[in-house]
Amino acid sequence: MSFRSSITIIASPRPRVGKTLLARLLADFHRHEGRAVATFDLNAGDKTLEHFLPEQTTTASIRDINGQIALFDRLVADENTTKVVDLGHESFESFFAVTHQIGFVEEALSRSIGVAILFTMTPDKTSVEAYRSLRARFSHATLAPVHNEMLGPAQHRDKYPLASGSPVVRIPVLAPGLRRYIETPPFSFADAQLAETAGIPVSAHVEIQRWLRRIYLEFRELDLRILLADLRSSIRFGS
Amino acid sequence: MAKPAVILVGADKGGVGKTTVARTLIDYFGAHQTPTRAFDTESPRGTLKRFHPDLTEVVDVTAVADQMKIFDTLGSADAKVTVIDVRAGLLSSTLQALTDIGFLESAKKGQITFAVFHILGPSIASLEEIAETARVMGDANYFLVKNFINNTTFFEWDPATYNSYFKRIKGAEEITIPKLNEMAYEQVEVASVPFVSFVGNKGVKNEAANYSFVLRGYVRHWLGNVWGEYDRVKLIDLVAPKMESNVRQAAG
Repeated sequence: MSFRSSITIIASPRPRVGKTLLARLLADFHRHEGRAVATFDLNAGDKTLEHFLPEQTTTASIRDINGQIALFDRLVADENTTKVVDLGHESFESFFAVTHQIGFVEEALSRSIGVAILFTMTPDKTSVEAYRSLRARFSHATLAPVHNEMLGPAQHRDKYPLASGSPVVRIPVLAPGLRRYIETPPFSFADAQLAETAGIPVSAHVEIQRWLRRIYLEFRELDLRILLADLRSSIRFGS
Repeated sequence: MAKPAVILVGADKGGVGKTTVARTLIDYFGAHQTPTRAFDTESPRGTLKRFHPDLTEVVDVTAVADQMKIFDTLGSADAKVTVIDVRAGLLSSTLQALTDIGFLESAKKGQITFAVFHILGPSIASLEEIAETARVMGDANYFLVKNFINNTTFFEWDPATYNSYFKRIKGAEEITIPKLNEMAYEQVEVASVPFVSFVGNKGVKNEAANYSFVLRGYVRHWLGNVWGEYDRVKLIDLVAPKMESNVRQAAG
């Protein structure tokens, strides 16, 4: 057995920690690697993800059963699409409660779909406890803590116990003044042409590409870890 | 031949989810590889038969011919467990009939394992049946089932009143059936398959089906909780004492 595709859930119980940017980066990384990507936006309201990835993004809600069916049944549907879920902080608890109750991770694995949770580390108690609870509840998923260096240099490693051999995913700081380019739609990390049409200066473009390469390296490593989790589960389940 | 077991599932009121409980029991025994047969007393048209057609026979439990069909075959049937879904309003009279034919006497002597699942409705009226039922039951295994499957409303009982009834039956145990999402329940109804088949994404003829994964997930979780209750009261030890009881739950 080998994973045909993966589902990555980008999560944090805190608002404004860079989840949507991470979702965009990851989606564009997969597009850059030549994979079909679908993104799901569970943030209430602002539709930021849709502005940047209009063709890939589906706005989702899990407040009622119909919304849950629309989201989860599509996530595990048998298609060779890589999926990225941008989980709004207000849906954090209910999303993982439903995920756990319906056995989502196990169902995905049985369909050869790997599941990863990217969790942005912040020092607050709510996040630390939420992370521990995810670790306890989702042992079959790859849980990867994310250090967003734009939030500060501290890694809070003492607060976030890591599984052995699983480093954090680092999102390096982007040079000051460049954020406005990447945060004005339309903008795609996967589309180099767009930089020209959007009038981004060459020096800024080069700098963004350099930053992006470091992030893509982190994502490649993450991909390997999801694969490794697949190997582990094959050994465990003997399939 | 191991001792046969008879489980009566009944309520004096309709619409309290009696057949649903009978279905979870049949699934439970199936998961424990305990051969089971069922009798549906809602003649002529049985709900239980719709979900478990191969195991279920529709009978009139007040007719002597059908009583023979059920009780005279206990020792000879392949099934180890007999589940009888007693139509609303017939619980007390069925128990009376069982007394008359000497069935309860055999149960008391330990020749037959006998258990009653008494499904309680959300109103105080159903408490009075407990008293009435208790009168004929004696020491049988008596389970009072609080069924929350179809409603979110709290049971309107005064705890003191409830406990005074509850204590009239020696060794009575309480079982709670948790709520199941309405749409999930409805889809199982529409599919007309056992809960286990729905969870396993199987149709009426065991063919692959295409139920929503989310709904299957909810049913699996709910069924796991219901079976957890049956495990807690050691139901499998009661009906099949010598059998391996730590079978992994298919719904687990």
